[in-house]
Amino acid sequence: MKRTIILSLFLILALALAACGGGTTAEPAAQPAANDAAAPAADQPADTEAAAPAATTETMVIGFTASQTGSQNVASTGQVNGLNLWKDTVNAAGGIELPNGTKVMVEFVSYDDESNTDRVQELYTRLATEDNANFLISPYSSGLTAAAAVIAEQYGKVMITTGAASDDTYKQGLTMVYQAYTPASRYLTGAVDLLEHVDANAKNIAFVYENSKFSTDVVEAARQYAEGKGYNVVLAEGYDPETTDFGPFINKIQDAKPDAIMGGGHFQDGSTFARQLNEKNIGVSFFALLVAPPEPDFADLGEAAVGVVGPSQWELQAAFTPESATAAGLDWYGLLGEEFVQGYEAKYDGTEPSYHAAGGYAAGLILEKAIIDAGSTDPDAVRQALEAMNLLTFFGHIQFDTTAEAHGLQTGHSMVYIQWQKDASGNLVKEVVWPLEGATAETLYPAP
Amino acid sequence: MSSPNDTQLAATDTKTGLSAVLAQNAGSFVGLILPVAIILALTIWPTITGKDITRESIFTIMLSIALASSLNILLGYTGYVSFGHVVFFGLGGYVGFYLMAVQGWSLWLAMPMGGLAAGLLAFLLGKAILRLRGGYFALATIGVNEAMRAFINNFKPFGGPVGMTLNFQVYKDYGGAARALSLAFYILAALTLLIVIISYLVRTSKFGLGLLAIREDEDAAEVMGVVAPSAKTWAYVLSAILPGIIGVLFFFKNGSIEPVPAFRLNFSIEMIVMVMLGGQGTVLGPIIGGVGYQSLRGFLLTSPLFKNIQLAVAGALLLVIVLFVPAGLVGWLRNRFPALRRVLQ
Repeated sequence: MKRTIILSLFLILALALAACGGGTTAEPAAQPAANDAAAPAADQPADTEAAAPAATTETMVIGFTASQTGSQNVASTGQVNGLNLWKDTVNAAGGIELPNGTKVMVEFVSYDDESNTDRVQELYTRLATEDNANFLISPYSSGLTAAAAVIAEQYGKVMITTGAASDDTYKQGLTMVYQAYTPASRYLTGAVDLLEHVDANAKNIAFVYENSKFSTDVVEAARQYAEGKGYNVVLAEGYDPETTDFGPFINKIQDAKPDAIMGGGHFQDGSTFARQLNEKNIGVSFFALLVAPPEPDFADLGEAAVGVVGPSQWELQAAFTPESATAAGLDWYGLLGEEFVQGYEAKYDGTEPSYHAAGGYAAGLILEKAIIDAGSTDPDAVRQALEAMNLLTFFGHIQFDTTAEAHGLQTGHSMVYIQWQKDASGNLVKEVVWPLEGATAETLYPAP
Repeated sequence: MSSPNDTQLAATDTKTGLSAVLAQNAGSFVGLILPVAIILALTIWPTITGKDITRESIFTIMLSIALASSLNILLGYTGYVSFGHVVFFGLGGYVGFYLMAVQGWSLWLAMPMGGLAAGLLAFLLGKAILRLRGGYFALATIGVNEAMRAFINNFKPFGGPVGMTLNFQVYKDYGGAARALSLAFYILAALTLLIVIISYLVRTSKFGLGLLAIREDEDAAEVMGVVAPSAKTWAYVLSAILPGIIGVLFFFKNGSIEPVPAFRLNFSIEMIVMVMLGGQGTVLGPIIGGVGYQSLRGFLLTSPLFKNIQLAVAGALLLVIVLFVPAGLVGWLRNRFPALRRVLQ
């Protein structure tokens, strides 16, 4: 009996912990099409279509899993919102119009993967075989995407990945998977270029980063790049994802006397790091952090945010337009950045889109263009269209690696780098500082 | 307290115990009929429906059954709650994955090595932490899992925080991805069957009786001649080997491995829940628990009524079970209908 009581107490405790953890324990299970809000929107255009003069209309199914619960929930929700906006836009226009006049309506089937890999393969198998998805979109995060890619490959389904930056996945001999994001290996390399641009005398860099798959991938690549350019890496230190006290790391940075600090990981740790660094005021002139700075909430740090540089997959300020496409000798496709933001804010009660949302929309857009180029939804034809794609969209340049070594890796898109600065009236503003073509302001250097 | 001879003694005990049971019970493996029938039915079900999705769903269920049955040897028979049992799944998976992805070994060789690594870890840990009892042991197992994850996170040969990815070409050796996934399913089915049979043999052996005695009263058991430290260690090792092998299989199928999904503490808790749901200390219990738990969660997640409060509903149901049916479904049936006891082992 005593043992039962102990066990009961443990289980209660465990369940309480699980509940606090935002549902990370929840065992993933098939949850058919949770896009309740989007479903009526899909029906409406179908009705207007019926009234219009007869053009052949097909429906294609796109399948993906979303992290409706668990640790990736926030980023994944942005991504799915972006995707839903794309679907509504396409269906409101009566579908994707193929060169032969056929219109292809889009239907989504999605399940909750609860941010863990346990059932990702099961759910993607369901999407591929039961729901007869014509195309797949990746889950959010590289780990889940790697598991889903095995299934996409097995059933010969084209999968556009978004929110999955890690390079590894695309170096495993896959043939059906195409990446929308700039890969992790090029996340921070631009920050090194920027440093070189603003200060030719800077020589020492300290890397302090979260001990996670993504951040480590990013920093390893940036470090190699920096060393190749002749920089000295005076400190390379990983910290635990749950770190809340960066004191010991800041002390080490102080001892190493770097000209620049690069690293970070995700939002929480990144903003804490920035705040504590500001409090200690150790006088480093250049500070670049992953993920956190592009988020609008980063401005809550106030003074501590000023001067912080961050890579972003997409920023409205770095405007890509049909004119810039012509200038670069690329085809332009899709809507303008402003139109995306307007559409997004209208659909989601004024919420500002993050780059994850733009990435979700871009994934849909890439697929849409490939289907038009292919003239059908035949997987092989779409694959060929993707291989040949060389495109400028509101999200940026899109081109895929077609070699066997890194098939599907994004080679066209590149990061933009933002920096928090103060405008004339002392308000914090996010300015694009790199690449120079898209810059909206001079880099604040040295950072205060 | 225990001399080196104890281990040997216990080992011989086990051996004679097992063969004695085999002799005694020849023709009376009635209790094994139901568990084996369920596993076989689950195994051939995908062939009947001819659908890949059935195979994938049953893969998840089988995984639960096999892990819960393994844990049951320690939790159900011996009465020691291991909260960090996923450490064996993760470590075995890591060792096997490393051998396949980096050293180019085949799945067939990597699986036993994963099991060996898990068994070895359990042996060493058993010597150290099985002296702790009750809640203290449970806490220690959580610590072991966290420590192992931190270690792997900083262990460069295993890829550190980045983990490892399997080259897709590897599946070609097994006749392509489709064949490899199907092969993984049948291997898992065979392993599940194996653990269920082992679980039955342990339960009906003298070794198993020793474990049950430890569960009821460890001091009294020692007085009666059960060499508790070594019996517990072997139970721990036995419950760790299969999760290690299954870890290799799971991550082979998954195509990549990272520290966080490999050592997910919540997975351990789910295993305990499944064992308790079905009935700890019985052969059939973890099977019923695995099938029941996964079906329940699936139902709650998809049901429009419970979709948004599924965690709360699942939590409340589990509380009710722990408080009012502590023996689990199989235990309750055994108490209620003594006539069925031979069948419901």
